Amino acid sequence: MTNSNQFPEKPDFAITISSQTQLLRMVVELTRHITVLFHFPATDSQKISLAIDEAVTNVIKHSYRNDEKKQITIEYYLSSRGIKIKLIFTGIPPRTISEEINIKKMIKNKRKGGLGVQLMKRIMDSVEYKTVNGVNCCEMIKWQKAN
Amino acid sequence: MRNFQIRAKVANGIAVLYPKGHLDAHNVARFEKEIVRLIRENNFKIVINGRELNYITSAGMGIIMGYIDEIRERGGDIKLCDLNQRVYETFDLVGFTKIYDFIHDEETAIDKFKPVSRKA
Repeated sequence: MTNSNQFPEKPDFAITISSQTQLLRMVVELTRHITVLFHFPATDSQKISLAIDEAVTNVIKHSYRNDEKKQITIEYYLSSRGIKIKLIFTGIPPRTISEEINIKKMIKNKRKGGLGVQLMKRIMDSVEYKTVNGVNCCEMIKWQKAN
Repeated sequence: MRNFQIRAKVANGIAVLYPKGHLDAHNVARFEKEIVRLIRENNFKIVINGRELNYITSAGMGIIMGYIDEIRERGGDIKLCDLNQRVYETFDLVGFTKIYDFIHDEETAIDKFKPVSRKA
């Protein structure tokens, strides 16, 4: 299920931060608080926060190349069914890789990166990137588990 | 207070790292520096004791991934022990638990590096 129409048109909460890794922990804590408030189990809440950490880290490192003057807007859309989180940013459009990673191959190639998007995809029910008129958007959805 | 700290001890050719706190992209350089130092000093048998590690992202896991081939080529390995459930699950999400040894306690992890004595 990836239908994002089940969320309000406007975000319930939004924050704009500068592109600094020192703010990652604040974003993680904020996301954890919001998801707990909206009745996600603690384990899901921690994982969603990790996915957002990975998404923001990717923007800082790859789209903004650690330029601290750039900005990232994070929007939270809440419904009884789940949470949608959007990251809005400019900079270099993210490369979207659809295939599963091969850890053994990455080890052989001595790669240190490439795990973040995989983590995001394994945690969230949907992760989509798009770029329109130079503005990039990463939209992630996590549905509440049915009781 | 620092979000992340790391200390190391080396005994009998086996290095044990003790990362503490929150390991993310902001402080991963500190973690990498310690791994690189151990390699430079020819310590290739490394145990990471995660008893006090509360959080890890792909940045930290990427360092373990990036140096493991070199370490294994030199007859060593990285073994992880004493991780809390949350950190273990993060490693498991990307499939690290199939590639690396995850061991319950430090003593057993260190023992795994010791040569197995042959039975008469």
